[in-house]
Amino acid sequence: MDRKVAIVGYKQTKYSEQNENPRERMTYELVKSLFQDLKITRDDVDTFIISCSDFQDGRTISECYMIPWIGAYMKDVSKVDSDSANAVLYAMMRILSGNYNTALVVSWAMGGSEFRSPRVMEYELDPIYERPGRLINEITAAALQAQAYMAKSKLTEEQLASIAVKNLRNGARNSLALRKKANATEKDVLASRALSLPLRELHAYTPADGACVMLLASEEKAKELTKNPVWIKGVGFCQDTYYLGERDLVKMDSLQKAAKAAYKMAGITDPARKIGVAELSTTYVSQEPIFAEAMGLIPKNSGPAAASKGWMEIEGKIPVNPSGGPQAANPLTVGGLIRIAEASSQLRGEAGEHQVKKAPKLALAHGQIGMAAQHNVVFVLGN
Amino acid sequence: MRNVAIISVGYNDRFVAKRPDVNIPEMIQPAVANALKKTKMKHSDIGVVVEGNMPTFEGINYPHLWFSDHIGAAGKPVLRISTGGTTGMSVFHGGYYCVASGMFDVAMVIGWEKHDEGDAQVGLMGIVLPEAFSLFQFGPDMSGGRGGGMGLLGGGGSTGGASFQALSYLAKAKGTPEHIDKMAAQARANAAKNPYAHLQHPNCTAADIAKTPMVSYPLRYGHTCPASCGACVMLLVAEEKVKKFADTDRVAWVKAVATASSDGTTGNLVDGQITDPAEQAICEKIAAPKAYKLAGIQNPKKEIQMCEVYDGFAHQELMWPEKLHLVDNSCKAIDEGRLAIDGEMPVNPSGGVVSTNAIGASAMVRVAEASLQVMGLAEGGHQVPRRVKNAVAHGWGGLFQFVTITILGDEPVKR
Repeated sequence: MDRKVAIVGYKQTKYSEQNENPRERMTYELVKSLFQDLKITRDDVDTFIISCSDFQDGRTISECYMIPWIGAYMKDVSKVDSDSANAVLYAMMRILSGNYNTALVVSWAMGGSEFRSPRVMEYELDPIYERPGRLINEITAAALQAQAYMAKSKLTEEQLASIAVKNLRNGARNSLALRKKANATEKDVLASRALSLPLRELHAYTPADGACVMLLASEEKAKELTKNPVWIKGVGFCQDTYYLGERDLVKMDSLQKAAKAAYKMAGITDPARKIGVAELSTTYVSQEPIFAEAMGLIPKNSGPAAASKGWMEIEGKIPVNPSGGPQAANPLTVGGLIRIAEASSQLRGEAGEHQVKKAPKLALAHGQIGMAAQHNVVFVLGN
Repeated sequence: MRNVAIISVGYNDRFVAKRPDVNIPEMIQPAVANALKKTKMKHSDIGVVVEGNMPTFEGINYPHLWFSDHIGAAGKPVLRISTGGTTGMSVFHGGYYCVASGMFDVAMVIGWEKHDEGDAQVGLMGIVLPEAFSLFQFGPDMSGGRGGGMGLLGGGGSTGGASFQALSYLAKAKGTPEHIDKMAAQARANAAKNPYAHLQHPNCTAADIAKTPMVSYPLRYGHTCPASCGACVMLLVAEEKVKKFADTDRVAWVKAVATASSDGTTGNLVDGQITDPAEQAICEKIAAPKAYKLAGIQNPKKEIQMCEVYDGFAHQELMWPEKLHLVDNSCKAIDEGRLAIDGEMPVNPSGGVVSTNAIGASAMVRVAEASLQVMGLAEGGHQVPRRVKNAVAHGWGGLFQFVTITILGDEPVKR
């Protein structure tokens, strides 16, 4: 990459079951507050990339009423209909082209107050065979994946629960989190409502209302706007085959490929040692060891060791989701963007109580959509 | 900045009202095969796939996940973009930026819609549904005073807003509803020269159109687009790879892309403000000048040989060329025959959206058709007779508030 792109600022809402404001004011306040922090106006933004979902917002072309609220009135706008990490990717490509110097990524969803997300996700299913069968949905797909991993790696239910405990406790250190439990135990997790075994409520993401906004800039502009740019060192994205039965849900082909592409661009050959912290869109905690292995952060089948030795704790050797991850709060499509914001925050040393101590130089952020993460985006960020 | 060329266009088949014989993946797959066939490329040469359609219209969320295998996207990077009516061109722009950024050498872009699996009017009503429901709760302001109540209900479905736009345009242009009849007739007659168009009416006349029932004055049934099923695929390649992959001597170079958005046209319930959808400053004052500047075009009327504009309704085929600075007054121009295929400024030789509208594809089809004109490959008699050095493709969407523009040429811009 000749041209470099940096993340110069970002803001997240406090996540809740129901935001006190409708989405228009929620995003307006957030964008305004970011502009105030950066001492810019909407005149300084060359293009806006929105990430929202008509299905999640319950209206057609759901961004069309949001244009003035996010500062995009009479300006250049496009919308990505996928996880918001894809919007950051698209914004980055627009800047790399040389046509733009700054790009604002805006994402929102009322995932807590407006609908039951597993039902809406069922609309992703093949309407001919899978939807009428009512067997496959995002929970059962993740459960199949979890069972496959537990069979292969011998991860126990206790160890699976301990990953949930990590995230609940991390959430308690994240002032924006919706679900937090400082003294969570494996017993709490194993006593929570069963969704589709082995997955229970406390293994799953917490649907939330919320938004995140992020400003990207070219190298020259970044240096004007901030003393602490977070550089996008590498990015990779990839989509798997559709039918669950034709995928190896443990191997996660598309995630392996996406990570490989990101590492190649970033010039990293040893991610397990080089990556200082990872924020992953693990909608179910069973995905933490699976995704970490697919991305080469931990060795194959080492989920049990990682859990019992605390490798992925905030103080561990490869901290994963110090923010609490999607278990702390997940406004659906906003997920990937939040992971990127959290990873950036770690690199800048701004993560407060959930800051990883060993000042990371490189961070990994991930976004996904589809049953058992069929489509993945991986970012490597550096300071 | 990297130059990007379009090296081929593929349609699945002729666009039609119903395709009960195929499901969505099966409908799209032939368009991919047809685009690839016309190149020296293998499917494995495609670096990235960018795709889009209207998300709720067929009731499938993230449909690109389902047809992953039918389009050969499994194992490839895929990006999904959707922006209402401008989706097709926003998807094209996404593919363009994938290559222009330097991240990929080859992008495949796909725009599609299968309207027989949904109801387009219901889908479009979904834009204003929350506002409409709150009106029913609180009672609309029937006085039409400060509140925009009646205006909003009248905006239901796109024909309501479009009829307002048509009247406002005619007043500005000093035209009459008969001009819209003439434009629609030209469109349907042009479509008869395009083997892929949906509504083909050879030798259609203004009188034929004027016989059709009025829907919402001044718009008649004959002025309105159909709901079509079909897919459009294009292959975009970086300059250095064109010789390797293109199977034609003439490719279509992307000289500029631009887009702009404003607020939705129905205005707001409290203040009753309405942005005049016939004003379109986002096109006339923002996106079009930006595009021409990037493309190095100083005098569009002289340097552009044809345009494909997004005309969901026939009056838009009159309005947009004016907003794109290609024609001073389209009502006069059509009276003088200047907008015909063999005219001075051919508008929509393909028949336009008013003859073929698979919404997710339509704005991309404008680019596809403009590129076919530049490449000299438009079939069935709709190739314009003059050599096309530069062409403009345009799309609009949302509540008359999004605009996308692509400028193509037979040579890359010197950078």
